[in-house]
Amino acid sequence: MSVEKSTKKARGTAACENTNIELLKANDYVADIIRKQMTTSNTLLINLTSSAGSGKTTLMQKTAERLKDKLNMAVMVGDLETERDADRLKEAGIQASQIVTGGICHLEAQMVHQVLDRFNLDEIDLLFVENVGNLVCPASFDLGEDYRVTLMATTEGDDKPKKYPRMFLTSDMMLISKSDLLPHLPFSSEAVIKDSKEVNHELEVIQISSLTEEGVDEWCEWLLEKVQQKQEAKVL
Amino acid sequence: MHETSIVNSIINTLEMEFEEEKLNSMKAIHLKVGVLSNVEPRLLQNAYSAFHLSNPKYENVDLHIESTTLKIQCEICDHITDVQNYRFICENCDRPSKNVIQGEEMLIHKIEFEDQ
Repeated sequence: MSVEKSTKKARGTAACENTNIELLKANDYVADIIRKQMTTSNTLLINLTSSAGSGKTTLMQKTAERLKDKLNMAVMVGDLETERDADRLKEAGIQASQIVTGGICHLEAQMVHQVLDRFNLDEIDLLFVENVGNLVCPASFDLGEDYRVTLMATTEGDDKPKKYPRMFLTSDMMLISKSDLLPHLPFSSEAVIKDSKEVNHELEVIQISSLTEEGVDEWCEWLLEKVQQKQEAKVL
Repeated sequence: MHETSIVNSIINTLEMEFEEEKLNSMKAIHLKVGVLSNVEPRLLQNAYSAFHLSNPKYENVDLHIESTTLKIQCEICDHITDVQNYRFICENCDRPSKNVIQGEEMLIHKIEFEDQ
């Protein structure tokens, strides 16, 4: 918590202090606590973001189904109201917990931290935080995640990376979801990939469909590799 | 709602950093926000005005918001590029870069206090 404070007095009646404090310092402080907890429990934390209705919950169902024999997965779901998503996941046999934000358009580290004790983290290898469907505000809030994954559905149009650059700049993986609809839509995967790479050249991309299962193998392999890397890093 | 959380975060952060007595002599808060921070200065000012309705303690404290443009510095050739149209590419050597040196910040840059 080192903050440089100037002791110089400004002209006039006011004394100025140059602070340069991060505006979201309170959030980042809690995010670091979460990060440490995840290291202790050996849990890979993924912050899953997207617009509303791009298929996050369906992808969670499909992912859990694929990985159920390989690791323990759990999902924390953020929504403005209702427990519908958590109920949907629980019905599919997935460990899930709802965070109702009560009108707030994004999740903050504090909200995630408050529900962490609903899970037995030592037994969870992979924890997803399904963020509120919104490509704007969630981009600014670190939740202590290892990776940020952004879904971009083909139905949203291929111009999103340049419209919401911060989200794509801060993501590690972009999933182009609902790829089964591509034949019916004026959507160019090439255009999306080109734009997103101009914003973030390190962004990994997988084209995916939870219905036809295109890309699901590749996605699950990516997850398994990241879980393994985290667990190996702990052993070393 | 985003702006309201940010105003709360600013006040929480200042209350963590400074003694109450000092905060009572606060005259102005200066923020520096980048174009990539998703903070819209006008909306933040409105949220700050709304905040005073429930927290009159800080109603005489001005809020100044400075926006900064987006700049990257190439890791290879060190050239600094003003990013236009969100193309994060060095204008000198044409290589992509994620090394944002300005435009992402959300800082409480400076605080003015009454001279004592």
